[in-house]
This record gives sequence, C-alpha cells and structure tokens, in this order.
Amino acid sequence: MIDIDLRTSELNFIGKVLCVFTHQVNNQLAILKESVGLIGDLIEMGKVSRKDLEGIMSLIESIRNQISKTAYFCNSLNSFGHGMVETSASFAVNKIIDDLVCLLDKLAAQKRITFKKEFKEGIPLIHGNPLKLQFLVFYFIEKNLTRLEKNSSIIIKTSRSEDTINIDVIPKGIFVQVEDGAGGDTAYQFLANNLGASISVDTPEGGITIRLPLPSSAA
Amino acid sequence: MKKKKDIKVLLVDDEKAFVDTLGQRLRMRELIVDVVYDGEQALSYIKKIEPDVIVLDLKMPGLHGIDVLREIKKISREIQVIILTGHGTEKDEEEAKNLGGFEFLRKPADIDLLVAKIKEAFSEKFERAMTAAAFAEEGFFEQAKKIIKKEE
Repeated sequence: MIDIDLRTSELNFIGKVLCVFTHQVNNQLAILKESVGLIGDLIEMGKVSRKDLEGIMSLIESIRNQISKTAYFCNSLNSFGHGMVETSASFAVNKIIDDLVCLLDKLAAQKRITFKKEFKEGIPLIHGNPLKLQFLVFYFIEKNLTRLEKNSSIIIKTSRSEDTINIDVIPKGIFVQVEDGAGGDTAYQFLANNLGASISVDTPEGGITIRLPLPSSAA
Repeated sequence: MKKKKDIKVLLVDDEKAFVDTLGQRLRMRELIVDVVYDGEQALSYIKKIEPDVIVLDLKMPGLHGIDVLREIKKISREIQVIILTGHGTEKDEEEAKNLGGFEFLRKPADIDLLVAKIKEAFSEKFERAMTAAAFAEEGFFEQAKKIIKKEE
C-alpha cells in the first residue's frame, strides 16, 4: 500500500516539475518573441534613431540572457530526465539538488518564497537512485512551501560529515500552520530507508530542520 | 466616439522583461498601455483608473489571475479581460469564461492576434455601452442596466 501511495506521489511530483518547466519555458519564449518582435517593429518603421539602436542593443542583450536562462533550465530538466531513466547511477548530490531547486524556483516565487542554496563543495559522488532522492527532498520542500507565509525562505544545504552526506531543508520565516515534524510521514521514512538514508528532525528558530544522512559509500 | 488610439489597456504580468516589451509594442500600435506586475497592483490600479481592456496573466506571485479576474468583475463588469498565460489549463479556461473573461490566449501569442482581440474586446464593450445609452435615452433604464451587466 505504501508503495502505491509513493508511486502516485512520485508521478504527481514529476507532473508538477513538468508543469513548472513548461510554464517557465513558455514565459521565456514569450520574452524572446516580444524582444525579437520589437526589434522587427523598429526596423519596419524605418526610423531607427541612435536612441533606438541603443534600445536594440539592450534587447539583444536581453535575448542573450533569456537564451542562457532557458538553456540552464533545459539542462536541469535533461538531468532530471536522466535520473528517471538511470534508476541506479553514480551522481553528485549538489548537482541533483541544484537541478531540483532550479525546476521548483517558479513554484516558490509564486508564493513569494525564495530558495537559498548552501552547497558544500567536494562532496563525493554517491551511488543510488537520483530521482528517488530528489523526490524525497521535494516532499520536504513542498511541505515547507505550504507551511510558510509569503516573504519567507527555504535554505537547502548540503554538507559532509565523517561518514555521511547531509541534505538539510530549513524553513525560515513565518509559519501558517503548526508543523507535525517528519514523524507522521511513514511513506517517506520508508522511501528514505530504501535509499539507505535516515531522516532527523531539528527545530531551531521555531522551524524544522530535516537531515538526510547518506553513507558516502552507499550502494 | 472613441477611436482605436483611445483604447486603454492594462497589462498584468510578473515577467517584467516580457510585459515591458509587450507594452512598448502595443504602444507602437497606438494603444494606451500601462503595466503592473501582480494582481494586487492591478486591483489598486483599476480603483483609480478604469482601463477598457486588461491583459492578465494567471500564475503570478500572490493572487492567482482567476482570483484577480473575479475581483475585477466585482469592481466593474464593463472592463474586458483577456487572459494571456503560459500555464493555463482547460479548467482555468472554463473558469475564466464563467467569470466573464473575454478571451483566453496562450503564451507566446502573436502580437497581431493579441491586438485584434483587444480591439474586439473594446468594440464589444463600446457597442454594449452605446446600446445601453440608447435605451437609457428612451427611458428604459432597467434594460440599459441589463445590457451593461449582461450576465445578470
């Protein structure tokens, strides 16, 4: 039963990521379309002044920026897709968390919540199922997106201790509902166990801290 | 009678680069355009200035576009609202229609199509106002009210 619940939630998670992705790409395409359109309008009008040329240069710069943003976003979805295909792989924790945060950024922005990344460098590759780990982290991120008021933030932190790799999801701000911790989340405890991970709950500053220690040598 | 250049348009979208550029292009097409970046700003704006047509995004920080549309129609049923979104579902489309939205477009939309829809929306509003005025002139105030508040 837990397996079925998790499978349904996992599909829901993938669906949300795809919705955010397509929304974001549509927005970026719309910006590109309007920028190119405006350049076309200015040229068609046949009265390109020096001031217009400056405007055109700034539009070209904006197009370059949008292309870079879109490429970064597409690369994140590409890695995410690989994680769905290669269910057992060596991967960098920072990279898959960064992909996840990039794909969810718009979701948080709609609630006026910001993500703050604090990634420790030099974390060794681990072996396992990257999608399942992203799914587990997503669960705690989404939970905090529901709990937090606007103008709050969620810190996503990675670190390494002697024999573990830790991923902390730390909410900061005002909470709209009382937290029940991770204790009631049986399905996600089950998922963590399958990943060879454990979840610990901390409560600094009235919030919660979730830690997912992973053995660096985890199979 | 209002001419094309008198059409007042309010653009509501949190994608600043998009909406500023679109605003500039619409102004080049002789529309009077103002821009705001979220639903709350849009509602404050229309309490001071009533635009003819609002082009409204759905997924924005704070208020969702559907809630903004609902509030706009509470303030003035005469303002025409065109939804322009990169995220809209069929459910959103149906809800927008039920709330009196004029058109539902998906990003990236063609500028000529958008301008055509803005003009259609304005014409519909204008004709309704003219018909209502004609009824009122003849003393048929109830009919005039019904035309303006056509959903009632």
